[in-house]
Amino acid sequence: MISSLLKVENLSKAFGRVVTADRLNFEIHAGQITSIIGPNGAGKSTLINILSGTLPADAGRIFLQGREITGLPTHRRVQLGLCRSFQVVNVFPELTVFENIQIPVLGIVRKAHHVFRALHGETGVADRVMEVLEELNLDERAQSPATELSHGDQRLLEIGIALAVKPKLLFLDEPTAGMNPVERVETLETIRRLSATGRTTFVIVEHDMDIVFSLSDRVLVLHRGDIICDGTPETVKNDKQTRECYLGEEVME
Amino acid sequence: MGRYLPYLAFGLLALGLACIGLFADRFVLYLTMRVMLLSIFALGYNILLGRTGLLSFGHAAFYAAGSYGMALFYLHINPDPLMGILAGVVLAVLVALVIGFFCVRHTEIYFAMLTLAFGMMVFSLIWNLRDITGGDDGLVGIGRNPFLGFSIAKDSRFYFVVMFFFMLTVWVIHRIRSSAFGLVLAGIRENHQRASFAGISIKRYRLAAFVISGAFAGLAGSLGAMLERNTDPFSAHWTHSAEPVLVSLIGGLQTFSGPIVGSVVFVVLREIIERFTQNWMLWFGLILLVIIMGFRGGAMGSAERYLVRYGTKFREEGSS
Repeated sequence: MISSLLKVENLSKAFGRVVTADRLNFEIHAGQITSIIGPNGAGKSTLINILSGTLPADAGRIFLQGREITGLPTHRRVQLGLCRSFQVVNVFPELTVFENIQIPVLGIVRKAHHVFRALHGETGVADRVMEVLEELNLDERAQSPATELSHGDQRLLEIGIALAVKPKLLFLDEPTAGMNPVERVETLETIRRLSATGRTTFVIVEHDMDIVFSLSDRVLVLHRGDIICDGTPETVKNDKQTRECYLGEEVME
Repeated sequence: MGRYLPYLAFGLLALGLACIGLFADRFVLYLTMRVMLLSIFALGYNILLGRTGLLSFGHAAFYAAGSYGMALFYLHINPDPLMGILAGVVLAVLVALVIGFFCVRHTEIYFAMLTLAFGMMVFSLIWNLRDITGGDDGLVGIGRNPFLGFSIAKDSRFYFVVMFFFMLTVWVIHRIRSSAFGLVLAGIRENHQRASFAGISIKRYRLAAFVISGAFAGLAGSLGAMLERNTDPFSAHWTHSAEPVLVSLIGGLQTFSGPIVGSVVFVVLREIIERFTQNWMLWFGLILLVIIMGFRGGAMGSAERYLVRYGTKFREEGSS
């Protein structure tokens, strides 16, 4: 049985006359890699911002594992298991790779407020940080400042920061943007491998159709704040409306 | 070896200061006390500016809260110096909590201007509430009763009280910087959006940093009132808020010892320049210009960079 991880009810958001979410209703299921696609301005980023707590919704309710999170601030949602990565590199630039992961680990084990205890004594935290870095093959760079990493590695580090909070649900906003083909394949492999462990459910917002169709179990097509198609990659590929408004030539050739 | 370095530095600092306290003349003693007071002020302030990345122009208000809190407690409630200092710090913390509550919702220029506005309000309150604060005269006649049974009436004795609190501040700030809390503050400085997605409540941590820096400003203020035996309304003035900013810049924002080195440079330079000319500000401004443009990262930041470069060169030569 597929269990519902995130449930969205009648979610609406408009900026003036521009409607970016129009009474959206959908669920995200645990263990499935779900992709959200749609043309520019379809409301994909806005949707992630609302779900993760950066933007307030105009109306509607959001539930994470049956618990309402609609009005909660970002850090509370993160503590409950909902996290995201960003379209552009978004790390702690002047801190080391190790410290970059250490901050979210401290945040989630609720030790971030320890004012007097020396940090190097927190061996449990250090072990967990190395575990995350090993998962991403960044363990050898642990002591380098984040700015010294290659672009691809910085993007990986960013996914690492998001994974370090042990999210149940993780939104990846164009996870391979700006990567070279080799890094791209590696990143996709990493996502697939992490998803297979079953600890985290991934929701991916992506432009690249190859990635979407090769990686996803389910695809949601967003257009002008509305879900116009929802199903397996095959269903979506063959959907007439989707092809008209978005996929266009790319699939029809 | 590296792990024991802080202890060694701490010991040497204490030893040096004790020597000054035992052997130096009154003038050097007074100057060293001023350096230590400014250091306490700036060390706390740098938790906010250097660590959390928030520029406040209102910390004179907390310094003054410490001064007046201590003085009022001494004059009206209890003349015990330790309790007076505590009262000053508590008042500063309360004022910082209230002002911080409104300020930490904003960042950058908005934060700076809000702290400036609140600081000016505190100054005008002190200036106008003549019945309580003595207005432009300040509060006078603050005596120094024995501190834990130890007479501190003489400056040469009071010096060791200042030194005690200075060393305490150095230790506490060092602990904070090497704690989880210190790292999280640096994370908020580097990328506050990412920090909230690391499960961190940014406002709460900013407020905590604000209040901590306010507490040390209050400590410096209450000790300052005891040193001068009066309170000065201009200690709440916004020009006084600029002092920890300058001191942090001179010494180096990202270094631990920066505020201390900056305080030494600030107090000693000012003292020397004032002997030669009335316009010490002009000459001080020029020197500041050179330091900010020539030594990016302040005196200690530059020294650190130089050492790192020299160290790598040395190692390379050694291996070849």
